[in-house]
Amino acid sequence: MLELAIGIILGCCALGAGAAMIAGIGPGIGEGNAVAKACEAIGRQPESRGQVTTTMLMGCAIAETTGLYALIIALLLIFLAPGRFVNILMRTLG
Amino acid sequence: MRIDPAVRQMTWYITVFVILLSVLMELVFLLLHRLDYTVLLGNLLGAAIAIVNFFLMGLAVQKAVDQEEKEARSTIRVSQTLRTMMVFITAGIGVLLSCFHVIAVILPLLFPRIAIAFRPLYEKLHSNKEG
Repeated sequence: MLELAIGIILGCCALGAGAAMIAGIGPGIGEGNAVAKACEAIGRQPESRGQVTTTMLMGCAIAETTGLYALIIALLLIFLAPGRFVNILMRTLG
Repeated sequence: MRIDPAVRQMTWYITVFVILLSVLMELVFLLLHRLDYTVLLGNLLGAAIAIVNFFLMGLAVQKAVDQEEKEARSTIRVSQTLRTMMVFITAGIGVLLSCFHVIAVILPLLFPRIAIAFRPLYEKLHSNKEG
């Protein structure tokens, strides 16, 4: 029974980490679209290249933070949460 | 490969800000009486990942703006996937090994976002100095 409970905890942590990483898809798509539009803008006004690149960098970094949040949650769920949850289970069972 | 001045300038800005915030974080650990070598090592690893990740993103953006729309889109997607994998593996090593403090590894990953939030203030101060 204890093995089953530990297995469920590990499975749920892995599922949670996988679900969290779905958020990692968004920034890739968003950044891709932003860069595509930036290419269009630079094509129209080549003299604004530096300004567009700076703005793009800041935009990409902000977009990527969402992915990083998800990554951190996934890291915690994979590496830290199972141990903590199993400890809580063991303490509860005595 | 020549690095774009905009990428270089932004990377320097992020590097300085990450170092400042890292010092601030160390001070908080010191105040909480938790400062030891694991925090220092963790902070070093986390800050290095954050800066390298930003620099690689800059290089990808620099490469992408010279390409066609479709090509640029795929370049950025590939770069983002590879960088996410890099962050996941290195931060995972930081979380797994006991010689690194978990919070000290993870927190610096978010420092570039804070640096960007302060960017308008920096630009305002910079323009005031010039003006």
